[in-house]
Amino acid sequence: MAILTPLEDALAGVADAARALAGRERVRLAVTGLSRAGKTVFLTSLVANLLAAGAGVNTLPALAAASGHRLRGARLVPPGVESTPRFDAAAHLEALAADPPRWPARTEDLSTLEIALDLAPASLLGQARGWVAGERRVTLELLDYPGEWLLDLPMLDQSYADWSRETLARLRQGRRAAAAADFLDFVDALPAAARDDEALARQGFRLYRAALLRCRDDLGFRFLQPGRALNPGPRGEAPLLWFFPLPGGAGGDLGRLLARRHAAYLADQRSAFFEPFFRRFRRQAVLVDALGALHAGEEAFDDTAAALAAIAASLRRGGGWLNLLTGQGVQHVGFAATKADHVPEPSRDSLVGLLRDLVGRDTAAAGGATTSVHAIAALRCTQDDVARVEGRDVAAVRGVLLEGGRSARIYPGEVPIRRPGRDFWQHGEFRMPVFRPPRLKGDGMAGMPHLGLDRMLAAVIGDLL
Amino acid sequence: MSETPRGPRILTDDAPAPRLDFGWDVTVAPVAVTPPAGRRGWSAPALAAAGVAVLLLGLSAIDVGGYVADQFTRAPWLGWLTLGVAVAGYGLILAAMLRELRGLAGLGTVERGRAAVARGDFAAARAALLDWAGRLPAAQPMLPALRKAPDLPTLLALLEAGPLAALDRQAVAAGRAAALQSLAATAIVPSPALDGLFIAWRGLRLVREVAVIHGLRPGLLGTLKLLRRTLFEAGAVAAADVAINAAVTAVTTNPLVASVVGDAASGAVAARRMLLLARATARACRIVEPR
Repeated sequence: MAILTPLEDALAGVADAARALAGRERVRLAVTGLSRAGKTVFLTSLVANLLAAGAGVNTLPALAAASGHRLRGARLVPPGVESTPRFDAAAHLEALAADPPRWPARTEDLSTLEIALDLAPASLLGQARGWVAGERRVTLELLDYPGEWLLDLPMLDQSYADWSRETLARLRQGRRAAAAADFLDFVDALPAAARDDEALARQGFRLYRAALLRCRDDLGFRFLQPGRALNPGPRGEAPLLWFFPLPGGAGGDLGRLLARRHAAYLADQRSAFFEPFFRRFRRQAVLVDALGALHAGEEAFDDTAAALAAIAASLRRGGGWLNLLTGQGVQHVGFAATKADHVPEPSRDSLVGLLRDLVGRDTAAAGGATTSVHAIAALRCTQDDVARVEGRDVAAVRGVLLEGGRSARIYPGEVPIRRPGRDFWQHGEFRMPVFRPPRLKGDGMAGMPHLGLDRMLAAVIGDLL
Repeated sequence: MSETPRGPRILTDDAPAPRLDFGWDVTVAPVAVTPPAGRRGWSAPALAAAGVAVLLLGLSAIDVGGYVADQFTRAPWLGWLTLGVAVAGYGLILAAMLRELRGLAGLGTVERGRAAVARGDFAAARAALLDWAGRLPAAQPMLPALRKAPDLPTLLALLEAGPLAALDRQAVAAGRAAALQSLAATAIVPSPALDGLFIAWRGLRLVREVAVIHGLRPGLLGTLKLLRRTLFEAGAVAAADVAINAAVTAVTTNPLVASVVGDAASGAVAARRMLLLARATARACRIVEPR
């Protein structure tokens, strides 16, 4: 942490307090989640439903009740002179409503958006302030980014040697070892004092990245670092990316070269991504594809749990007692099991229990943040149904498949309320098919059909409104 | 004890199906208060008033017609003169009625424009807004740009940036002038009853002034309609001012303060009400509801 950071945080805290006094609060809502957790659809639904709610449409009833029905209007803040791309919620909504519909592609770059919420005054003091300074307005700052980059957060506190040791230990476990066999053979064959030959570095990086891609795409693993090796972003591949874990750490010329690149990569991620966008957020939504992790098998499930624990630990270290002094800590954290429409209504409580178990009981950020756990579908694509399986009637879901447009009934299996035992995983892996979005109005005037989004928002930002 | 099947599976793969429709638009639509059937159209008092007006005008026209015919029997020049007087009189009455209708039509344009904007109906909103802007001098420089606006947000942004901002400023200025006059009147008018009369008259004039600023020329019926709408808008405006009103009233009704500033205290309350009335009327007259 830079020496001036606490001072900057303190100044930001004073500015926040002044804005709150003037009825012009700005709140950064950090929407965090591993890759394919559904951040882009979550943000699109959040924006569409808030804008519709601002126009008087009852899209978020729980949030409206939590805010005392004070929301008078909502609008996107017009773009200024930002250098970060703008999150195009309208384009995502149009693509989802189009015929044939398109789900958002994998996020390749950062994008931001601000939405201003006009609110009726809640007290006599607020009314008096409204007379002087106009209606109270809360501006929500939203950020979309490639989920793979989030796993760089735990790397920030590690040396190259520590990172190499932990990463190689993970790679040698279970099914990862087979996916990374070529890479492991390569690094195990390297002498401890290998020369800093660029051909060696490039070949090692190519094999390492291929292993990461296989782990992500074929096996459903998420704890894969560095994030830009999987998703380099719009700046493309730069030499500072060309590093990989070595058994001997930073020993030898090659090790020293890779350690320099590792340090340069972290410095670049810190200055370009984490410092400007991941500091000073007060509310946090953590999205987890808990069902996808459950269906991907025992190792993938444990891998997701480990990734979440590492991220939570990093966020806790980023907070601490200084936040109490500067008023910059996270106040509310909402954990959400996304794609809850992939299970029928009776299983959604189990999904909440499973997520609670998955993220652990100590995930609250330092500084007394309140936490809540939810099961949500930012865009509901199925309806509940009943099916006959092995001679028994079971609750299922029915949806229209994206590929081919045929109707299908899915029995998502038993959803345990905590990490299941070994015999649970005997049925093997399952890949949930992709459903077509329901019929939508592309203009967003009626928001987007969702499950539980309003209850989650009520818990995370309800007290702001 | 039987166990639930554990493994997830795709059970059926039926024929092609349309996209699911949850009826979301209907579920989330705001509840609209529709008037009960049978109460559409004119109310009973309006029907009675129209009947009285028809009787008065119709019977008087028949009576005048007979009188003109009598005058022609006496002397042609007397007949023509009487006919001229009758035509002039009824012409003025007709002109007044046309002006009333035009005033009501102006309010109708505002209502249609607001409804179209609320629906997000670009074509209807564009037609109503251009109709309104075409009749407003302050909007003339902006007309070509308004005609070329590609969508509703652009159209609204152009209106807000140009004519509506100017109209809001003029309405606030009219409110300030009325407030100053009310303050002065309460200081010099000797009787509290006359105070009240002056404030009522000035308030009514202010409503008409603000309406004219917004391109409306309401007659008697139009003014009554506008007053009714202003009362609703005043609720929204006053909601933000409750604390200030309470504070002003508390200070000005304090015996000590009243002994020092005398009648100026009640004048201050009246002046504040004029400012409030100007803002409420501007909200009622605006073709686009303030954001």
